[in-house]
Amino acid sequence: MTQALLMRYLLWPLVKFLGAFIVVQAIVAAMNWVERRLLGLIQARLGPNRVGWHGLLQIVADPIKFLLKEDIVPSSSEKVAYFLGPMLPLIPTFMVYCLIPFGPPPMFIAARVNVALLLVLALTSTGVYGIILGGWASNNKYSLMGGLRSAAQMVSYEVPFGLSIVGVLMICGSLDLVRIVDYQANNAWNLFPQIVAFFIFFVSMNAENNRTPFDLPEAESELVAGYHTEYSAMKFAFFMLAEYSAMIVNSCLVTLLFLGGWTMAIDGKGLTTQQLVSMGVLGGIIGLAIFLTKMMFFMFVYIWFRATFPRFRFDQLMDLGWKWMIPLALGNIVVTGVFVLIGQERLMYWIGLATLGAIGFHIFRKPVPAVKAKTAHEVAHAS
Amino acid sequence: MRVEHPKPRWTDRFLLLDLFEGLKTTFYELFQPKVTVRYPEERLEPADRFRGMFKFSYDRCIACKLCAQACPIDIIYIDVHDEQREVDGKMKKLKVLDRYDIDVKRCMFCALCEEACPTKPKSIWLTTKTYELASYDRNDLYFNMQELEYWDERPRYTGLPEENAPTQLEGQKMLTGGHE
Repeated sequence: MTQALLMRYLLWPLVKFLGAFIVVQAIVAAMNWVERRLLGLIQARLGPNRVGWHGLLQIVADPIKFLLKEDIVPSSSEKVAYFLGPMLPLIPTFMVYCLIPFGPPPMFIAARVNVALLLVLALTSTGVYGIILGGWASNNKYSLMGGLRSAAQMVSYEVPFGLSIVGVLMICGSLDLVRIVDYQANNAWNLFPQIVAFFIFFVSMNAENNRTPFDLPEAESELVAGYHTEYSAMKFAFFMLAEYSAMIVNSCLVTLLFLGGWTMAIDGKGLTTQQLVSMGVLGGIIGLAIFLTKMMFFMFVYIWFRATFPRFRFDQLMDLGWKWMIPLALGNIVVTGVFVLIGQERLMYWIGLATLGAIGFHIFRKPVPAVKAKTAHEVAHAS
Repeated sequence: MRVEHPKPRWTDRFLLLDLFEGLKTTFYELFQPKVTVRYPEERLEPADRFRGMFKFSYDRCIACKLCAQACPIDIIYIDVHDEQREVDGKMKKLKVLDRYDIDVKRCMFCALCEEACPTKPKSIWLTTKTYELASYDRNDLYFNMQELEYWDERPRYTGLPEENAPTQLEGQKMLTGGHE
């Protein structure tokens, strides 16, 4: 009896967590290479391609380099806080892996909690402590500035981040990630009715992770390297690890909340959770593959954004957060509430689909012929 | 010059659709040809007027030492002795070059030696299209006249030092003066 309980509540979740941990860490290590390579390709160069086939061994080479480098501790730093800085953001991001279902339950989820989403949000938002502690403990004004900026940014964007989820919760009626995914499989992706929420969530997600165009805490041109200026070797690697882990967590969240997680179904037809569970191990693998594909797409979009957009100014960042994102999120809640109240959720799907169609039309339409610039001669002899 | 921009439509202001325009551009760039030259495997041919490593011609040189005088940092070392030689049936006093060394590690490639050279064509010139001058030992960069004349026969860069050990051994020999 005790043995069975131990197995069910301690050993088996631990094994699952370790599995998730290893997979996510492998993705983090791979992202280091993927990001540099993709950025290179977008910028008309090749990126790292010397170590191994297409530079793939870079994934191994970088951690080895980090481990072998000299670990420099500034003499004037606050020692305890300096050591805690890189470690603190790691713990909550690792804990989140317990809560995220990577595939159809009960196989691919370490701990199913009925308020999983709330817990995930609570854990991820503690990531700011490590950054601000590290920035302060470095005893360097630029590091401190980076840490403060990060704190201000993360706190500001936590609000629209949380508010944008409310719309999804109102439609799905649950905080359980598995039930949110099931709802989407039985209706349609939340992307369509909650297109505004998706937009806000995605922008806030970028801001939360200090990614371009919101990477003000590590703005090279202003703050050297921001909060991790004074960190070297493995401590620096821990900051990177935390950042990329948080990126993966957020990509998982956006997949689960807006893109139907591991399912590939509309209106209950297609690969729903029941369908996948009834297929046994194969179904589990298919579900995992679908989930990872969607997640990796968002990781790609992170990099794509980094290659495309220039950095915001700090006041612009705060403007966008407080003056645009929060009112928009609140408006979205009101509109969603009205639709839910009159029982017309289906109408929202069509509205979202139409919006997406309009955006797609705008992207792929023929470009407007550019107005030819007038030469100096033409300007002088206009009349 | 005055540039007229297309009038922004209200959708552009409201929906920020220009962002997608930018994303589209970067996505297309992903598949465009790249400009990188994978150096040890691919090499670019320098232009005809490229100023590379020295080349020296023993046959053309008249041992006038004008290049050594022109050199602003005095890194050209020339030794000459006079010799009686038979040219066209007459005995003539000729200058014979014993030593023509250039300490290339200190050279700044100003080409003043080439300008000073009175022979036509020049006996010392720099337009050789060679740019692989790096070495693992700075003593490798001291060249005598044979080396300067047959520079082209020097091996090209092929890989890391451990892959072609002889180069490094040579360097060590030079450093220790040939003794172990």
